[in-house]
Amino acid sequence: MLCGFASLEEVFRTEFGAVLQCSNKNCYWLEFAGDCTPFKVTDFLHLRRKIEEINLSELLFDPSPRADFTIIMPFRSQRCFVLSVSDVLNLKELMQGAKFMMELPGIIKDCLKAAPTSPLIIG
Amino acid sequence: MKDLLRLKTSLNEEIEKILNDQVKVEAHSSAIYLAMSSWCDDQGFDFSAGYFAKQAEEERGHMLKLFNYINDRGGKAISPEIINVPNDFESFRSVFETALEQEMHVTAQFNNIAEKCFKVKDFVTFQFIQWFLAEQIEEEYVARRILEMFDVIGEEGTGRWEIDKHIPKVTYNAE
Repeated sequence: MLCGFASLEEVFRTEFGAVLQCSNKNCYWLEFAGDCTPFKVTDFLHLRRKIEEINLSELLFDPSPRADFTIIMPFRSQRCFVLSVSDVLNLKELMQGAKFMMELPGIIKDCLKAAPTSPLIIG
Repeated sequence: MKDLLRLKTSLNEEIEKILNDQVKVEAHSSAIYLAMSSWCDDQGFDFSAGYFAKQAEEERGHMLKLFNYINDRGGKAISPEIINVPNDFESFRSVFETALEQEMHVTAQFNNIAEKCFKVKDFVTFQFIQWFLAEQIEEEYVARRILEMFDVIGEEGTGRWEIDKHIPKVTYNAE
């Protein structure tokens, strides 16, 4: 998936990465750990759920070496995420912020639609 | 900025999740009824075995109705993993008690969905689940009526044979 940088709009950014939207190709880009990866909307939502489902306390209290890293290999993507506990934390924060910002346009639209269309006559 | 989320799906994420949870509940119900059918068949209760086999089919139908709705609205229906299906039962009566409990659980779940739909103002899904809520009246009525037969007819002697024979005749008429 190729998108011109001019068509990318920032959805949410933190110190560790960003989620961008391409309205031409209707896809999201995840900028994280020095790489930028495109995802179709469904695939991005799936990835977001995967990140949300990672149990941080389980990782922290598991003494085995396999708990040091979490591997996420999204379908239809060449990117493989090998995440340390702090990466998981950063990605969770990024995804939570992105989730809110992705839902915001819809919420605003609903509010605008709910507002009275004709001007109020006072007096 | 284009609203990519709404272009993809009309379902709120919370509603999609709760509907997928319900797909799992219906699939679990179907599996339980199938197990009940097998148990009844094994114990010689032919009519009850047929009744539960029909119930299993019905529950699967409900599951597919929900499954298709999620996909039709742009969500992603999840084919559920079914575990913990009881295959043995204490008695003929306990099978029907479990069936009633299962139906009451399903009703409670649909009530939760209705509440959530109101909370997020998803009246389309609210309208969709009306059918299921109406269906639950019948499901609970039939299960309760059958249980009452255990007291009315009694289990002694040929009682259980008599109860089994009457199972297919229990129907619900809302009129």
